[in-house]
Amino acid sequence: MTTAPPPTVDGADRRPPSTGHAAAAPSPVAAAAGWLVQNPLLVLLVVMVAGVQLATGAQLGWGNLRGVFLDAAVIAIVAAPVAMLVIAGYIDLSVGSTLALGGVVAGKVAQSGGSPLVAVGAALLAGAAVGVVNAVLATVFGLSSFIVTLGMLTAVRGVAQLVSPLPLSNFGEAFGFLGIGNIAGIPLPALLAVAVLLTAGVFLTRTPAGRHLYAIGVNREAAYLSGVDTRRIPFLLFVTSGAAAGLAGAITVARLNSAPAGQLGGGFELAVITAVLLGGVALTGGEGSMVDVLVGVLFMGLLRNGLTLLGVTTFWQNVASGLALVAAIAIAAATHVVRGKMRAREAHRLDDAAPTG
Amino acid sequence: MTVSVRGLTKRYGPTLALDDVDLDVAAGEVHALLGHNGAGKSTVIKCLGGGTAPSAGSITIGGTTHDALDPRSSIAAGIAVIYQHLSLIDRLDVTENLHLGQETTTAGVFLRRADQRARAVRLLERVGLDVSPGTPVRQLTIGQRQLVEIAKALSRDARLLVLDEPSAALSPVESRRLADLVRLLKADGIAVLYVTHLLNEVVELADRTTVMRDGRVVWSQPMAGVSKTDLVTAVSGRAHGAAVAPRPVDPDTPPALAIEHLRAPGLHDVSLVVRPGEIVGLYGLVGSGRSRLLETLFGRRPATSGTVAVDGRPVRVRRPDDALRAGLALVPGDRLRQGLFGSLSSGENTVLRVMSLTARAGWRRPRAEQEVFRSTAAAFGLRPADPAVPVSRLSGGNQQKVLIARWVNDRAGTRVLLLDDPTQGVDVGARAEIYDVLRQVAADQGLAVLFASNDPDEVVALAHRCLVMRQGRVVDDLDMRDTDEEQLLDLIHSELEPS
Repeated sequence: MTTAPPPTVDGADRRPPSTGHAAAAPSPVAAAAGWLVQNPLLVLLVVMVAGVQLATGAQLGWGNLRGVFLDAAVIAIVAAPVAMLVIAGYIDLSVGSTLALGGVVAGKVAQSGGSPLVAVGAALLAGAAVGVVNAVLATVFGLSSFIVTLGMLTAVRGVAQLVSPLPLSNFGEAFGFLGIGNIAGIPLPALLAVAVLLTAGVFLTRTPAGRHLYAIGVNREAAYLSGVDTRRIPFLLFVTSGAAAGLAGAITVARLNSAPAGQLGGGFELAVITAVLLGGVALTGGEGSMVDVLVGVLFMGLLRNGLTLLGVTTFWQNVASGLALVAAIAIAAATHVVRGKMRAREAHRLDDAAPTG
Repeated sequence: MTVSVRGLTKRYGPTLALDDVDLDVAAGEVHALLGHNGAGKSTVIKCLGGGTAPSAGSITIGGTTHDALDPRSSIAAGIAVIYQHLSLIDRLDVTENLHLGQETTTAGVFLRRADQRARAVRLLERVGLDVSPGTPVRQLTIGQRQLVEIAKALSRDARLLVLDEPSAALSPVESRRLADLVRLLKADGIAVLYVTHLLNEVVELADRTTVMRDGRVVWSQPMAGVSKTDLVTAVSGRAHGAAVAPRPVDPDTPPALAIEHLRAPGLHDVSLVVRPGEIVGLYGLVGSGRSRLLETLFGRRPATSGTVAVDGRPVRVRRPDDALRAGLALVPGDRLRQGLFGSLSSGENTVLRVMSLTARAGWRRPRAEQEVFRSTAAAFGLRPADPAVPVSRLSGGNQQKVLIARWVNDRAGTRVLLLDDPTQGVDVGARAEIYDVLRQVAADQGLAVLFASNDPDEVVALAHRCLVMRQGRVVDDLDMRDTDEEQLLDLIHSELEPS
């Protein structure tokens, strides 16, 4: 057959190999424009930060950023596995209560003199146990993950309150390090979040199992008929998401130095889902990346922080955050249309360039 | 009232689905529209029903000329299309379905249920359907649902009734009842466009017949004095003379696929062999078991008994994954729903399975994946041969090449390739390419190919042997060297003759 330069599956080289002569690669300007159209939130993020920085001069200071990262880290740790579930066409709404359970369990262990490592391990296990229940119901029995995890959201909150009817507090300095400690000047939770995002990103792009998640999310029937195990990876992801929420609970409790079972992680699941969707992970499945999640989490954190710096009151902050989600999704839908047109034009161009017959 | 279609042309990107089609249907006339899959029949229907806008041409109904119709204006103009995939709401009952979107109300709010029910009874009587108007539609057979659809069309005062292969899923008794109804409607002055590929129905029902091939009208005449043979000639256009004969296969080679006494729901004691390099067609009507056999082999449906052997080794298939490990791969009939990952790139669609096989210690090897895509894209003539294009943007023929490449490459280890309706929704030029691809993989790689089809042209063009299926059984085994399209058409028609 024809000798052609090897194309890359990842799409780094978008030249059609068999034609060569007629079709030129898109110009760098068009490529850059295309990339920005695909990441509209990143553009908004930069504009927003620049605006707040100009107005207040306070957002980009390390002290301020450190606080933002500390808040964002807890969300990011859970958003990573939840985003992967959404990519595969599932969802996990139970993470808010799982966070509370993990926090309470870690608090109990720490208070009774257990080492911080044991406390974190117990939180991970408690979270993973919730994840197993979600996983069995959603992947083995095939129930709607939306309903299953919505039910677990309520049930696990009750379990957390049963474990610790009275608020716990004072867990000791060693455990507190998990929440507020620094390594090389960077908050420990932020380092953990980076590690989680990196691992998830590598898994999603560099392993067959990661790519299969997209296939499952786009078309579960076709994935099954292609010999993909459509249950195992989502099962493990539910467990991971539970464990991550447990870890987030331990971090939160260590930071607060108290564990009120009724209030811990209230509304946390919505913050996670908001960040995931803001970033551009599609609720319909099959679309999204860990970069999206990172951008979504940072956007939420920096938006709230920016509003605070601008002196906006808490109530107005809620209004603004909610509207921001709607606006981001509207922008995403608009860019989706633009992107579709660009793709169509591209396909047309390649088609015209290809030899016929 | 007459419906006139003039110069209807439809382009899908670079492919021409309809080319300057003229068509007239007079009131009180049954006009049959004939042609093989991909001839353009369904595009004509879509233009009439408002499912798609023609690129050029006009549709004149009762003196009003339309350049394009949408579903609403099509209904308003008096056109009712009864699609093969019926559009009733399962959960609602017959009365509710009949009145959907045109409910009779008091003060615009409250349903007048008694009125609706009385009207439903009259409509059901008119189409000869004997069910209570309160029956949920999901409890009806396909034939009964079709009658409900026709009743719904009548309730909207349809002047042109378009029936899209209405008998495809019907039992012989139901088909005869439908034919009677069509005659009744004709007597009432309704224009009927009857789309089919069954010649017997045409001879029996039609006043006038138009034959389409490759998006063009190639023949259009009143049926007086026209025989079935004339129709066969018009439909096939004697095109199979151009087909390249498949490479001969040594009949003494041990079979690549051997099935013995396979039974499953809808399959009765099927035994067959396919040799390496051999292409075998499973020919039969909808419901004959051809697709079911392929899906059972592939593990999508459970088998109750029987043995399957690949290259002499018995295999037990419970899931598609087992089949793939054994070297059995299926290119499904419903490409979009069962085969493709629409928003993912053609590269990812191609390597989806071999990704795990080329990976080392759980890590993908992009270079090996690229090589798989590059070599299959070149071998099968994929256009565009760009791994980054979303597969939903490819033409039907190229999507099919991607699905074949998913199973046939140096890594996949496929020994037997099963294909369900391999050229469904593929235009004529690309169809010849798919045939070439299949002949090439059979001859060069010694793959056994087993495909299901209801298109005699396809079986003649592609197969070494043809197995005719009827009611879950293989009833005939024909060597295609001495069988032509006419014999196959006769076989399928003799089966439909009322007995």
